Parts: sequence; C-alpha cells; structure tokens
Amino acid sequence: MSEIDQGLDFSTVIASTVHDMKNSLAVLMQAHGQWLARLPSAQQQTDEQGAIDFEFAHLNGMLVQLLGLYKLGVNQLPVRPDYHELDDFIEAQLAAHQEVFKSRGILVTYEVDPLSPLGFFDRELIGTVLANAINNAIRFARQSLLISVSEETGQLVLTINDDGEGYPAQMIERQEQYVQGINPASGSTGLGLYFAARIAQLHQRNGVPGRTEISNGGPLGGGLFSLYLP
Amino acid sequence: MLAYHQKSFLIVDDFSDFRSSVRSMLRELGVKDVDTADTGEVALRMCSQKRYDFILQDYHLGDGKKNGQQVLEDLMIEKLISHESVFVMVTAESSQAMVLSALEHEPDAYLTKPFNRAGLAQRLERLQQRKTLLKPIMQALDRGKPVEVLNACIALCRQDPRYSPLCLRYRADALRDMNQNEVLERLYNSILADRPLPWAYVGLGRLLFKRGQVAQAKALYEKALKVFPMMPGLYDGLADVLVAQGNSKSAQRVLEEAVRLSPLAVRRQSLLGKLAMSNEDFDTAAKAYRQAVSQGAQSRFKDPESNLGLAHALISKGSERGLDTRARLEINQTLSAVAKENPSDPGLQIRARLMKATSLLINDAETADKLTEQALTRLDGMEQFMSADAALLVAKQLKMLGQAQASDSMLKNCAEIYGDDPAVMRGIAKQTDDPAILNSGTAAADLNRQGVRSYKAGALTEARELFRGALLLQPKNISIALNMAQALLHGATADLDPGLLEECRKCLKMVGLMPESDSRYPRYQKLQNKAFEQ
Repeated sequence: MSEIDQGLDFSTVIASTVHDMKNSLAVLMQAHGQWLARLPSAQQQTDEQGAIDFEFAHLNGMLVQLLGLYKLGVNQLPVRPDYHELDDFIEAQLAAHQEVFKSRGILVTYEVDPLSPLGFFDRELIGTVLANAINNAIRFARQSLLISVSEETGQLVLTINDDGEGYPAQMIERQEQYVQGINPASGSTGLGLYFAARIAQLHQRNGVPGRTEISNGGPLGGGLFSLYLP
Repeated sequence: MLAYHQKSFLIVDDFSDFRSSVRSMLRELGVKDVDTADTGEVALRMCSQKRYDFILQDYHLGDGKKNGQQVLEDLMIEKLISHESVFVMVTAESSQAMVLSALEHEPDAYLTKPFNRAGLAQRLERLQQRKTLLKPIMQALDRGKPVEVLNACIALCRQDPRYSPLCLRYRADALRDMNQNEVLERLYNSILADRPLPWAYVGLGRLLFKRGQVAQAKALYEKALKVFPMMPGLYDGLADVLVAQGNSKSAQRVLEEAVRLSPLAVRRQSLLGKLAMSNEDFDTAAKAYRQAVSQGAQSRFKDPESNLGLAHALISKGSERGLDTRARLEINQTLSAVAKENPSDPGLQIRARLMKATSLLINDAETADKLTEQALTRLDGMEQFMSADAALLVAKQLKMLGQAQASDSMLKNCAEIYGDDPAVMRGIAKQTDDPAILNSGTAAADLNRQGVRSYKAGALTEARELFRGALLLQPKNISIALNMAQALLHGATADLDPGLLEECRKCLKMVGLMPESDSRYPRYQKLQNKAFEQ
C-alpha cells in the first residue's frame, strides 16, 4: 500500500473534529447558562459576561460555517427550501443573540413588509448566514442594529445595517474576490462573505441565483450587508 | 403572550441535565405542567395517557433506542398526538440530514442545541400562533376528514391570502386522500411551476406512478433530482419506477444512493435487500437486510421478512463447503428471533425452520432433517396462504431438502392460488416442467377472462356463471374468488338472495386466507364490508 493511501484525508479529519467541537461547545454553553442562573443577579451582568456570550455565539457560528464549507466542498450540502414566516425567522435569530445585545447595550429593530409575510428559502442555511452577519455587525455596531426584509423586483432582500464605522473601502471594492473565494484567508469577515455568497447561490429561481452585497450607509450609516434571494 | 400556566409540556431527552435545564427555562416562562421522559417508549406511554400541548423531543436518544423521528411516526400513526399540539424536534447539530429523511411525518419545528430561554420562548410563541391560525385545518385533520381539511384551507386562504402557501401541503394531502387525482395533479404542477418544493415533486411522482404513467414519473424524478440531488425520497420514487420497468439493476443502484444519503430507514433497507437478492448481489442484500433488522428492532416498521431475507442472503453467499461459523451464528440468531416473536404465525414458523434446515444441509444433515420434519407437520395443518414469493422459496428449499413430493404439492397449491399472475407462473416454471402443474390453471383462467368480459358488458348472470365455473376448477384462486364475490354483490340491495349472499361470504372466507401484504387485500376488505352490511 502506498503512503498516500494510508494518509488521512485532512479535510475529513477537520470536519469530524469540528463536529465534536461544536457538540462540546453546546454542552459548555448550556452548563455555563445553568451556572450563571444560580449566581446573584449583580454577578450575572458583567462586562466579562458580555464577552463570554459574544464569543460563544461567534465560536458556534464559525464552527457551523466551517462544517457548511466542508459539505459545500464535498458537494454534500443539502438544500431544502420551503415557505417561512419572515418575522418568525428573524425573531428566532434575535432571540438567540439576546444576551449579547443586552450586555453590549445594542438596540435592535427589524422591519418586515406586512403584505408579504412569507419567504421561500432553506431556513437552516439562511439562518446560519443571518446569524453570522448579526454576529459580525455586533462587533462593529455602536448602539443600534437594523434588520429589514423587503421585496425588490420579485426578489427577497434581507439587510443587516449597523451604526459603526462601516466596511473598509478596500473590502467593498474587492467583494467580488471574496465571493469568488480568491484570497479568502483575510480574516473571518472575508470567509463569512464567501460562505454567505455560496449559500445565496444555492437558492435559484428560473435560473436566477441568489447573491450578496456589502456597502456602507443605509438608515444607520454604518455597514450594510444585503442578501438577495430570488 | 402565551398563557403558559395552562399548557402542558413533555420533555423527552436521555440527558437528565438537559431535561432539568429545559424544565427550569419553562418554569421561568410560567409553565406549571411539565413532564419528562428519558426514552421514546416512555414518551409514547405518557402520550397515550395524557394530551400534551407541547412536546420537546430530542432526536438522538442513544444507540439502540428509538430516535425522535421514530417517536414522531409512532405518535402520528397511532394518533397519540393531536394536530393542534406543537411537536418540536431538538437536535444536537444541524437538522439538515433529519429534515431530508423526514418527508412523511415532519415535526412542527426543529430547534438546534444550544438554545437559550429567549430562543425557546420565541419558538413556542410563534408555533402556537401558527397553530391558532391553522386551527380549523388542524381540527379537521384530527377528525380524519379530508373534505373538511380542504374546506378549511379554502376558507383560510380566502380570509388571508398572504398565508395561502402554508396551506399547500394540507390541500395536496387532502386531495390525495380523496383520490381527486386530476385536481391533485393540477395543484402539484401549479406549485412546482412557481417554486421547487421537494415534497411536491415526490407527491407528483407518486401520483403519476400510481396512475400508471411510469415514463412521465421517471422523467419527473430525474428532473427533480437535478434540483435536489440529496433528497432520499426522490431516489425511492425513482427506484419504484425502475422496478416497474423491469430494470432491477438500476433500481438497486438508485436505492444504494438513497441509503448512502439516509441510512436510517428500515423500509428502504429491506427493499434494497430484496432488490439485491433478485439481482443475486448477495453481499449487498445481506448488508441491507442486516441494517433493516437492527434498525427495525426499535421501529414500527419491524418486519420478519428482513430476518428471513438476511438468512437467505447469507445462505446464498455460502460456498460449496457450507457456511462459516460467523454466518451460521448470525443465521441462527436472526431466525430464532422470527420463530420466537411470531409464535402464532404458522407461515413464518415453517419458513424459519426450512431456512435454517437449508443452512444446515451440508454441515449438520441430522438437524436439517429434524427441522424439515417439523416444518412439514406444520405445513400440513396450515390453512392460510403464503405470499407467492414465500411459497416459491419454500418449494425450492423443500426440494433441496429431499422433499420432492411436498415441493410439488407446494407448487401446485401456488399455481392454484396465484396462477392468473404470469410472473408467478414463470417462477413456478423455473422449478418444474410438470405439465399437470404448469397447465393446471389454464382452463380456469380462460373462464375467468370470459367472466370479466361479460361482467364489463353488464351480463351479470352470465358473468356469475363463468366465475362459478372457474372457481370450481381452482377454488383457492384469489383473483377469481374476488371477481365472483364482486359479481355477486354487484348492484345488490338489501334484498339480495340469501343463497347468493351465502355463496359470496363463502368466497370471501377463502380469500381472507391471503396474506395482508397482498396488493388485493384492500379490495378484499372492501368487499368483505359490503358483504356483511347486507
């Protein structure tokens, strides 16, 4: 048997390790939550707690994304779209981040067009993208975050807007490269953009694929991440 | 806000830490009534005694235990849960794989661990809202009245068209249950023209297949698989189509793909075993049947046919010198389970013994003889009909075991019961060239055909006479007896001649000996109901 045959497929090793890490993190987060609940309330709300909540969510998001990227790589990421209630979908994501918003003093608002309350997408996949985008926005937001869902020429547009500094100009200019996976090594935001774009592209209608876009501005003036789903 | 203090909850998880963590979250939300269970079996028992408004069910309850999906299937099929209740599947990781394999019975939502109190409260609140919105549909589903489901859907869509996509699946399922095939086909096509919904592809494929449009069904499945290459249900449908087209090799490959995507599926594994067996791919057959047996242990789809199939595959795989110890051990174990778990099923008792005897033919002729004797004694007193497949295998094994006479009588019996089916006759022809057996049904089949023609032409008396003549020649033939019963009951009102009614009931009594797995069983039940309404 040749040496190559005996070697480990490193991406499979990473994937199965990430899988274990994710389970381990879930137990850790749950245990921490239970322990926290037994503390006097003054000790529950500390700056450290804010950091812990944020990094928990960040770590979890990265691990989920990594598993998703692995499955994309081996062509095993299933897509199963269905109709979903948009306000429910967004509320669920916000609820998961509630502790972080609270400890960082960030006010979050969201808008859904009441005339089109349903969207058509894979809830789990788009949920992962939205969770990562929220997590990213929290890092840069000063005090507010705005999530909105609207319709633009028949496409569903989901935006996450913050009141921070905004994306660096160079990043906005080179977003095509991130999306195409060229030079994706430059930090988690780049990798996140790549992942989001790939997930968006998996959502197609009559040959039109979904896409992502980053810019600055929006009602809050900071970074603006947009996800277009046909 | 939900009035949580009035709602009852059931938490099902094998980890006590998790149960207590969720319980305290619920307490903080104001829930008073919380029960917990650590296995699916306990959960099912609790649901049979109490109606829960919310069930939080962990998917993975440990190896060798029922998983969450199996619990949900049991709850739905045994009607232990109301459609108004909220069932949430809690998963440790991404729910993708589960979502894919749960096309038939879906939970109301998936919730991925870890979740916090706010996350849990949000899901529960929204799910309850949706159930309230869909309440008339849910109540109609509980009553099992598809017409009412359909009407509730129409009313809701009229009242709030924005939510009409949420009704699509209920509408389609109701139309399916009502056998409204044309309307259903139009609905599926209009759904798919707008959005590619996986369940609509599967539904349309099944409908086309059911209506005999096999080529169209195949084209549809192939198209759907381009969009959803990871959807096991589409592979299942395509395999059915390929089997119907006589292409069992391709069907096997397609099912192998489905099993690779979603190995946890008892029925899929046993079907793969059967296909591989017919393709003489004994390794694959043994592997698939082995999976079907071990997964089936906890499932409602447990089926002794898988045990027999596993033994048969292992025997067929064996060499001239007999079987190795490991195979013998496995055969012994899997057949003992059949004999032990089905004490009052003579067919299974006979088949398990003959299978075991066949496996011992080379290595332990004495025990093989003893088992064969036991099987023959039981066979003598057996009234019920075996399925054609089972009967043919029994005949073959009897011959191998030196019981040529018993084998021939088995074949003759099989020709009488199933002789109108050319596939069965081909199977018989592989084992014998005795014209007395091969032609035993010809005259009766001829009369039966004439009878059908007369019946369709409305010549009822003539049809009855022809069927009667056919049945005289082949009294155990299922098809002829069903035709006879139907002709006797045709247009019958309360004043059907008591003599004819008696004749009809006698026919049906004979047909009632057929295995429930026979495709004609539902037709028999319908006639049976009609005959005893009189």
